[in-house]
Amino acid sequence: MGSIDSLYDRVKRYLAGFFTGEGSTDAITGYSSGELQMAVFLLVLAAMFRVFMIPLGIVLILVTSIMIVYFAPIIRTVDRENSSDLNRVLFWVIIYFSIILAVTLWGR
Amino acid sequence: MSEPVTNLWSVPLLVMIPIFTAIIVNFLYNRTRAIRFISIGAALAVFAIAVVSPYGLHWFAGHPAVNADGTYTFTASIFSWKLSLEYYYGPLQQILIALMSLLLLFVVVIATKSLSKNYGPYIAIVFLTYVSAAAILMANDFYNLWIAVELGSLLVAGLVASSGTSYAQKAALKYTFFSALAGSGLAISLGLILGITGYVNITDAITFLMTNDLGGMYAVLYVAFAFLALAWIYAGGLIPVHPLKSDVYRSAFPHATVLLQTQSKLMLVAIGIVLLRMFGPLPFAREVMLSISVLTMIIGIVMALIQTDFRWILAYIIVSHSGLVTVGLSLGTYQGVVGGLFQAVNDIVYMSILLLCCEMLLYFGKGTSIKFNGGIAKKSPWLAAFVILGAFAASGIPPFNGFQSELIIIQAALAEGLPEVAAVVLMVSISTFIALFRAIYSIFLKPGDPSPAGQPEAKGFTMPPTVFLFLSVLLAISFVLGVYPQLALGFLTESALKVVFVPWVP
Repeated sequence: MGSIDSLYDRVKRYLAGFFTGEGSTDAITGYSSGELQMAVFLLVLAAMFRVFMIPLGIVLILVTSIMIVYFAPIIRTVDRENSSDLNRVLFWVIIYFSIILAVTLWGR
Repeated sequence: MSEPVTNLWSVPLLVMIPIFTAIIVNFLYNRTRAIRFISIGAALAVFAIAVVSPYGLHWFAGHPAVNADGTYTFTASIFSWKLSLEYYYGPLQQILIALMSLLLLFVVVIATKSLSKNYGPYIAIVFLTYVSAAAILMANDFYNLWIAVELGSLLVAGLVASSGTSYAQKAALKYTFFSALAGSGLAISLGLILGITGYVNITDAITFLMTNDLGGMYAVLYVAFAFLALAWIYAGGLIPVHPLKSDVYRSAFPHATVLLQTQSKLMLVAIGIVLLRMFGPLPFAREVMLSISVLTMIIGIVMALIQTDFRWILAYIIVSHSGLVTVGLSLGTYQGVVGGLFQAVNDIVYMSILLLCCEMLLYFGKGTSIKFNGGIAKKSPWLAAFVILGAFAASGIPPFNGFQSELIIIQAALAEGLPEVAAVVLMVSISTFIALFRAIYSIFLKPGDPSPAGQPEAKGFTMPPTVFLFLSVLLAISFVLGVYPQLALGFLTESALKVVFVPWVP
């Protein structure tokens, strides 16, 4: 009983995620296209790790697929994180800057 | 053998004519006819200078260079240490500055027609924005680069705030706040490079790095790279600063956004080339640039897909296509750099078409929301034709220019063994089409509200002849570059060759 409810709730939440909140549109086309675009992009990104090791690429594609299904709809998160709020932008700038520094120094 | 010119006449004119124009029109304030006459004349003058100018260097303040044996020289040589601030005007600078001058002319004509007050200060900011972009592109020393980026950031804020809405002023304030961070980043990078090489001239600094072993000081060079990359991200509006930049693009008048996006592309190209020349051989430097570019492309286009206002859609597409420019540059190969530079030229052209169409929607008083529009194609078929053809060019559909540069970038990515990057470029191209045509259908092609019973059908909208002419010129450029890309590639290949094979040559 519980598992059926949980599945129903999850599907309902998934569909409602496209419509509710502070979405920029009431039409599903943009959000569903964006969702697909993000999902494909994340899979492509995971596939890029084949450059280091092919098994690593395969594992990452599988892990990414599971995470996409689990965390969907991703587009809502992307939309939220895309705010021009100064604190949020500053936070991401610091994260990016740290990664750039870490990667280049590590590459040395 | 002819010596390179070190006192090229055109360089100071390209910088000083817009500055003097800005000062004069600022004093003239609201004298419409005088401002219009002077600003159009100045825009035509800089366009003519950019087109006819020969190539060469200009050393400001007349300082000579020092040879290896301690003697002085006024002729340019890569093995002499330059004491002066150095500007270089070559084929890349020529095509980009000539294109920007043409757009400056269009922007000035539209601005002096459409604004109702404060002409002078507004036109002054427009001209100074032009100067900042031209200076960034020509500078061959970190000091001038830093000053031009700082000035450019403040002018972007001024241009956006001039649109007068509270939203625009908020966007300008946020952008200015970040300029403190990115400008400081560039200054720190300058300081670190000066500290380890002893030179601010880019050619001299690269020559020093190639002829000396930095030993343990290499770590400092990586930190300098990170700070310069931060300035690049900020100036070009790449991820994660893109929300601020897209706010800037959508808050300014669309005609001002034409100049803003051109300035951004020029900054991306100029700083991107410096990053490649100076830090290209460092491990992971190009990979970092490529990651930022790919993320910018994807996040930009995904955000464009979910917007419901044509201005917002265009703002995010500009951001996304900035990533397309930098992907080419970041690949670091000859073909990639050519593709990136060509994409910058094309992007400036087709986004200007779309932005001017957006300006016309505001001129017709219809707004740019895709929710409350429709039927514009019936009332203004020419505008609909321009926007559809502009969207084709932006989506990389032949025979327009976007197709050629995207093809080169895709081929460059495949040649580098990165089919994933090629796939992302294709995804962006297709999504650009979806995002634009979603808006074009709602605003232009969908039937509008029928006239109330008993009332005559609403009259059609007539485009001003000047805007019709500007759109025709831009569309013609887009078509010609699509059919005959060698016309632009002839200006870009030399720069790409230098960046990849002889990075110390400006």
